[in-house]
Amino acid sequence: MSFESVWKVVDRADAAIDPGEGIAAVSDPGFGGIDVFIGKVRDLNQGRPVLGITYDLFEPLVLNEFQRQIDEITADFGPRIKLYVAHAKGRLAVGDVAVVVAAGSPHRDEAFRACRQLIEGVKHRSPIWKQEHYQNGDSEWSEGCSLCQPDTEHAHIDGHVHDHSH
Amino acid sequence: MKEIVVQLFGAFSELDPQREIRVPVDGGQVIDLRRALRALLQQRFPQFRAGLVDYSAFADEQRVLRDNDVLPGDGRVAILPPVSGG
Repeated sequence: MSFESVWKVVDRADAAIDPGEGIAAVSDPGFGGIDVFIGKVRDLNQGRPVLGITYDLFEPLVLNEFQRQIDEITADFGPRIKLYVAHAKGRLAVGDVAVVVAAGSPHRDEAFRACRQLIEGVKHRSPIWKQEHYQNGDSEWSEGCSLCQPDTEHAHIDGHVHDHSH
Repeated sequence: MKEIVVQLFGAFSELDPQREIRVPVDGGQVIDLRRALRALLQQRFPQFRAGLVDYSAFADEQRVLRDNDVLPGDGRVAILPPVSGG
C-alpha cells in the first residue's frame, strides 16, 4: 500500500502556514520517524536589512512540480513514506513561515533524506520567485536556479554548483 | 507569423500591469519565441535587462518546455526567470 501525501500553496492573505499541519499530515501509527523543515523570512540578506518578501508563483505548474517531486521521492524510498509540502505566496513579514516540508516513515534515516530531497526540489525546480523588500525602500527580485536545461544539472545564473546554502 | 501570449513572472512581471505580453513569432518552436521576445524587450523596454531571457525557461501549466519543443496550440506560454523559492 502507499500513503497519501499533501502538497499545497497557501496565500498569506488567507492564512499562515502551520507546521503542525505538516506533522499531522505525515503521521501514521507505523511511522516512528518524522523530519520537518521550516523555512522562515529572515531579517538580513547579504548584509542588507530586510523587511519582508513577496513570493510570486506560477501556481498550476508549482502544484504539478510538487506532485512530480513527491512521486519521484516515493519511487526512490518505497511506498512506506508520507510527504507534505506547503509554500507561501504573497507578501510575508520577517519571521513568517515561507515553506514547510515534512516527511514521515518507519525510521529516521528515510525521513531525513526524503525531507532534504523534497526541500531541495522545492528550491531548485519549482517556479517560485522571491522579491525582497529592504529597509531603505528598495525591492529586488532574487535570482537563483535557471530551469533552462531540464534534462541536465540545473544551472545557476552565476555558474556556481549545487552544494550550497541558499 | 503567430502571436504568442507570454505570462510574466518574477522580474518580468513588472513589465506589464496585466502580467502578460503579446509576442509575434516567426516560427513554431520555443527557440523562435525566445529570440522574438528578446528582440521585442530590447526595443520596447530598453532599460530592462533583456539578457535575462537567455537564462529563463518557458513553460505551460504542465511542464517546462525545451527550446526545440513546438509552441503550445493555445498560444499561451509562461516565462520563468531563474527560480528562488523556499
